[in-house]
Amino acid sequence: METTREVKEPEARRGLLRRKRLTPWLFVTPCLIVILLVTIFPTFYSLGLSLFKWEVTLKDKPFIGLGNYIALFKDDRFLHSILITGIVVVVGVSVELILGFSLAQMLIEKMKGKRVIVALLLLPVMVMPVVVGYTWRLLWDAQYGPINQIIGWIIGRPFQYTWLAKPWSAMLAILVTEIWQWTPFMFLVILSGLAVLDPEVFEAAEIDGASGWSKLRYLTIPLLRPILIVAVLIRGLDALKFFDIIFTLSGGGPGNSTETLSFYIYQVGYQFFRLAYGAAGSFVLLIFLIVLLTYLLKLFRSALEM
Amino acid sequence: MKRLVTLLLVVAVLASLVAACAAPTPEVIEKEVIVEKEVPVTVEVEKEVIVEKKVVETVEVEKIVKVEVPMGSSADRAVEAAKKYAGITLNYVREAGLQAQDPLHMGPIFEELTGIKINVVEMSYLDMYSNQLQDHLTGGGAYDALDVSPLWMIDFVSVGVLEPLDDYIDKYMNKADLEDYLPVYSSEGVMKIGGVTYGLFDDGDVFVLYYRKDLFEDPDNQAGFKAKYGYDLVPPETRQQMYDAAEFFTDKYAPDLHGLAIQRLEGQAYSWFIGPFSAYGGQFLDPDTMKAQINSDIGVRTLTEMVQQNTVMPPGVEKWGFMEILSAWMEGKVAMIITWPPIGRWGSGYGDTAKQLAWVPASNVKGKVGYMLQPGGRPCLAGGFNMGVSADSKYKEAAYLFIQWMTSPTISLQRVMLPFSLRDPYRLSHFESPLYNTAWPEAPEYLDKLQEAMTGQWELGVPGAREYMEAIDNACTSAYAGTDPKAALDKAAARWDAITERLGVESQKAAYQQWLKNPWNRPGPTVEYP
Repeated sequence: METTREVKEPEARRGLLRRKRLTPWLFVTPCLIVILLVTIFPTFYSLGLSLFKWEVTLKDKPFIGLGNYIALFKDDRFLHSILITGIVVVVGVSVELILGFSLAQMLIEKMKGKRVIVALLLLPVMVMPVVVGYTWRLLWDAQYGPINQIIGWIIGRPFQYTWLAKPWSAMLAILVTEIWQWTPFMFLVILSGLAVLDPEVFEAAEIDGASGWSKLRYLTIPLLRPILIVAVLIRGLDALKFFDIIFTLSGGGPGNSTETLSFYIYQVGYQFFRLAYGAAGSFVLLIFLIVLLTYLLKLFRSALEM
Repeated sequence: MKRLVTLLLVVAVLASLVAACAAPTPEVIEKEVIVEKEVPVTVEVEKEVIVEKKVVETVEVEKIVKVEVPMGSSADRAVEAAKKYAGITLNYVREAGLQAQDPLHMGPIFEELTGIKINVVEMSYLDMYSNQLQDHLTGGGAYDALDVSPLWMIDFVSVGVLEPLDDYIDKYMNKADLEDYLPVYSSEGVMKIGGVTYGLFDDGDVFVLYYRKDLFEDPDNQAGFKAKYGYDLVPPETRQQMYDAAEFFTDKYAPDLHGLAIQRLEGQAYSWFIGPFSAYGGQFLDPDTMKAQINSDIGVRTLTEMVQQNTVMPPGVEKWGFMEILSAWMEGKVAMIITWPPIGRWGSGYGDTAKQLAWVPASNVKGKVGYMLQPGGRPCLAGGFNMGVSADSKYKEAAYLFIQWMTSPTISLQRVMLPFSLRDPYRLSHFESPLYNTAWPEAPEYLDKLQEAMTGQWELGVPGAREYMEAIDNACTSAYAGTDPKAALDKAAARWDAITERLGVESQKAAYQQWLKNPWNRPGPTVEYP
């Protein structure tokens, strides 16, 4: 009898252990299925599609291997879109970083009304990019836009420049709009980072006679480095996929002068229905995203080690 | 247990892969619309008119005009035949916004007559192309009745989106109604592709020049213009006359008024290139070599003129779309515009009490609007729509009967006369209708000018047409931004050649030569048609 009870007890414990191991899987499986359906399967399907010549009006859809990828890198419009995307990422994110950092530095100290100011500063990031694009389109309007109105007041005569009609000014308008919307994100991340820095380090530096610039250069920035890298990573990945504001503000124009990679892929895939070519473009974009992510993660790891 | 879980996961993955290969359940966007039910349009006229065709259509006029639809009319036949489908819902694709108001208004009437509910699925103009195509490619069957621009017809037909309609026409339509179309709108490449009917034409989009009669007839203006340019100020017939008049008005009245405004916004800028290019004798493609000809001297001349015209237009016109043109015109800030027919009606005050047009600025140019052919001789037939039937619809016959009813002479007349409708006259009976001709004082002149669509030029209708047009669009907007027109068109021509190469030179050649058989697709200042 004793032997049976002894045998039953380990079995019961094993059953309990099995249930404990199974339960997490039961919770995770639906999510895994959704990810497979929405992300993994379409990704592999697109990869396969990108190896074919797929034109909606052609009956034959032959396998062409890397033909679409080769054609992409011979396509001036595609190469130009990479350049425009690069400008948005490098210039846009850099300016956002500098402005966000400056704002965070200004607002890190205790001050009256700080909460209200911070809340107001965060408003742009809460607005949908499409709404931002259409609103700024009105602001940039040649005849009725307030930007031209204010410039006119400053220079003392009517000013009716069509910002979105010239390549260089359309690009400027796009960058200003994008920076306006996403600087608050940088500001918020950096402010959070500054808030958790140990104040004793700065007090010690002050006692040692460090100037404001020295503290910034030798203490603040190095200590904030992991936070800065994360902020740049998130914004950089987002900027690489920049679409909404281009679509609403400039439509990629004038001509194709402000087309980003995402916008060009959208045109090719959804307007011209060249699905395989568009899929190849998407994978090139994915590769850029992976390269950026890998590089920044490496920097992040080395920053943490420091 | 581990193996069991792994097995379950593998089965789940396989099941999801299989499910992913199956046709996705289309998302049908249903929109609940509260529609005020109205009786069919009745208008007071003073004289009695009897209109007889092969099928007698009698108009009884007393104090109130009653349009009787006797048995035998396409509308009546459609209603009778459709009753057997009572209880079903048909999903009909329509451009969002004002374009959707007409089927939203007519749908409940059709439902009352037949028991078939019409669900209007609204989407943007660009999305109409991709969504209707995508639905077919994924075997969705989300739509029953479609709206198809002639620009997209060849693509849709080659992919199999559209159901052939000839059998239905033979069975249900009063054949006289096919003769009632303005010939340009029933020509090959518009309703028919390769001799097979795939659509019933439903929107007579044609560019018209609207001008301010008061400004042109003003004695001061006439004297000043004559002194400066050496000839009389008259509603322009040539592009040079148009430019001179625009320059004169801009110099005299700016910034309160400018001489000319034309839509320059990217997306449809190409439409204003097509008409003049063709009128000057420009050929899109060499029919033998299939090399692009848009960068010929004619193309460069056309685009150079368009860039020059911007200098006499309001500032910021490079980003002006339909709404900006409408607003400026209705406020009386422009002396001439070239645009679609609806603005011509609204400018005259037609429909200013319709609640659907509450957003349209009140017209400050009522009674001052004159109408001319687009200077240069060939107006672009920019846009237009066919109503078609989805090849994937579960209710193809019902969908056909709906579109036959909507495009029938009697019902379509009511529709093109709706004040808020964006559908423009396209049947002979529309242009001859006493109701329409008395809708506002200048209506007869307006309808006369719309009939000059008979000299129009269609947009290129070969496979890949959207890509070809986009290349011209990019060239236009680049030129407005300062790029040399020749360089801009050279770039566009290179893209055209790449598109032709990619789609197959021989197949594109066959399609283009077929397209050229339509008299309205041949270059030149006039159209010779049978």
